[in-house]
Amino acid sequence: MISRKLQYVIAALTVAIFVLCFYLVHLKRKAESMGDEPVPQAMTAPISGPAEEITLYVANDEDASLLPVSVSSAMPLDPGERGRIVIHTLITRYLRNDSPHPLGAGADVHDVYLLDPASAVVNLNAAFADSHRSGVEVEQLTVFSIVRTLKAQFPGLSRVRFLIEGKTRETLAGHIDISGWLDVAMVADASGELK
Amino acid sequence: MLRAESIFVRVATLLLFLLAVGLAAETRRVVVYAPKTNYQLDILVRDGVDYLGLTDLLEPLGHVESRLEDNKLKLSFNGGEAEFQDGKRQYRVRANARLDLAANFLLVNGRGYVPVVSVTQLLSRIAVQPAEFHDGSCRLFIGSTKISYSAELRHDPSRLVLSFPAPVKPSTLVEKGRVHLLFHREPVVSSGADKVSYGDSFLLSTSFAEIPGGAEFIATVQQPATVSIGDGGRTVIISPATQPPSAPGTVPAPTASPAAQPHSPVPRPRPFVILDAAHGGSETGSVFSPTLIEKEINLMLARQLQKELESRGISVVLTRVADNPLTGDQRAIAANTSHSSLYIAIHSSASGHGVRVYTSMVPALQPRQTRRSFLPWELAQSPHLDQSRIAASAIAAECAYRGLPVRSSAAPLRPLNNVTIAAVAVEVAPLGASADELAAPEFQQRIAATLATSIASLRGKLGAAQ
Repeated sequence: MISRKLQYVIAALTVAIFVLCFYLVHLKRKAESMGDEPVPQAMTAPISGPAEEITLYVANDEDASLLPVSVSSAMPLDPGERGRIVIHTLITRYLRNDSPHPLGAGADVHDVYLLDPASAVVNLNAAFADSHRSGVEVEQLTVFSIVRTLKAQFPGLSRVRFLIEGKTRETLAGHIDISGWLDVAMVADASGELK
Repeated sequence: MLRAESIFVRVATLLLFLLAVGLAAETRRVVVYAPKTNYQLDILVRDGVDYLGLTDLLEPLGHVESRLEDNKLKLSFNGGEAEFQDGKRQYRVRANARLDLAANFLLVNGRGYVPVVSVTQLLSRIAVQPAEFHDGSCRLFIGSTKISYSAELRHDPSRLVLSFPAPVKPSTLVEKGRVHLLFHREPVVSSGADKVSYGDSFLLSTSFAEIPGGAEFIATVQQPATVSIGDGGRTVIISPATQPPSAPGTVPAPTASPAAQPHSPVPRPRPFVILDAAHGGSETGSVFSPTLIEKEINLMLARQLQKELESRGISVVLTRVADNPLTGDQRAIAANTSHSSLYIAIHSSASGHGVRVYTSMVPALQPRQTRRSFLPWELAQSPHLDQSRIAASAIAAECAYRGLPVRSSAAPLRPLNNVTIAAVAVEVAPLGASADELAAPEFQQRIAATLATSIASLRGKLGAAQ
């Protein structure tokens, strides 16, 4: 025969188990809802101008491909600003949780300068390079993706150079050489080989 | 309880045995000693018969061309021709002479395979070179490559002098009462008497035996002994440790485990390949985990590849053998002054799967430029781009043939632009989901064997180094 005292204890424990179960379910839902929150996006100035179709060359780590994707975006008239907007749009895509080619949080582009119709300089922020994954293929995909996206926007472009916080850097993250001008035609040929 | 333990022990023993048999079957190779080169070939076992790849066998010996017509393989070797048919024993050589193989000829993925036991007959017919196969050691001697030795016991002090007609570099192992000389590189064969008794106060007896992939000479001694090599590698002296030999021009041979690299005063031949384990020192490359760092994986892979290449008779140098930093320019200068024919940079990555092969992203030579034109440092690779692409294609083809995922492309990757020989970079990624696989010996061995086979196929195709 179970004593009355023991019955109280068992009842209290049963209630406690139920309460803890409900609390666990609550915590799980809360954690899941936190995962859905968007990652911090780079801040950008509002853009004035009509919406246009722009082509982004989006890298995919799974098959090392660069696929053209059309998106609509409000585009300014200034060529340098247009370059910045397309690269910013590309980077924003890479910062999504479901990105096929993830970049580190905080990555963004400061400026794109068109020195002449054939030469562009892309000035990226420090977070872009510092948080980039290290490896020949992953760095190559990032660089090629930016170069080909710019080429799609500026068909006369023949060479592109990268700066990090306004300064020349030897490699993006230890492998791909970004210290000099990159030949756009050769990048297109090489990325064709990748596919 | 005891019965359960007994069953467990038996099952475990059986599994270990099967594992050992499986591993042994996987690693069986034939060592080929040819007049100009030594190399190893993997054995393919089909229906209990050992086979060797016909093209792999002949390529290091001369110019081979083969073409497939339906289920027939037509082969041209140094001007002579032969024709084989899949699933048939009979084959045709030169003036329509018909001969039989010991078992059916095999075509596997477009490659021809012949029974190992028929190789000597085949070589004498196709290559017109006498050949001898030693079944016990799986060694194939082509032409007059065998090295016999003579052994002489000399006195005052007592010492055994082994004389060889060509330089040798045995691995030596000195243990209590025994001195082992292991010949894994040289085609050393018995001199007639495999076991000799001396009954000397220092030397009791000697024995010689062929072991898988080589030969072993054992001297049974009664005192601590030392081994020294002299006369440019042609003389090996086993003497008491307290009485070093006084023969001029000898240096003590380092004692090592059988697996260790032997050292000797024999000069190294000109290397065919320079291997560059990327990163080093504070420049770590990718950090896969606190204990798994790219610079270390690269060095491990480079060493494994060096071992595989040397086992195929290919001479190799490494840009670094320890954790020391090198700039891109230093690596390029090391490659350009090595007199090698091929530069291979080795990288590893946790992203993606398989092998990526890269060539330099420099423009090819302009019409007015020649290989002798003065070029800027940044374009130094331009005249050699075609050869680099040949090397990249060979590596990619071998990876694909062995079922490894592979991609190849051009990339702006230092120091490829500055290298003045055929130059490629290889980035290796795990086949599964975990980066830990990069450090696994089986994975590294598989990658190294694949790369070594493809590099071996490039001999004679890349031209002389500048």
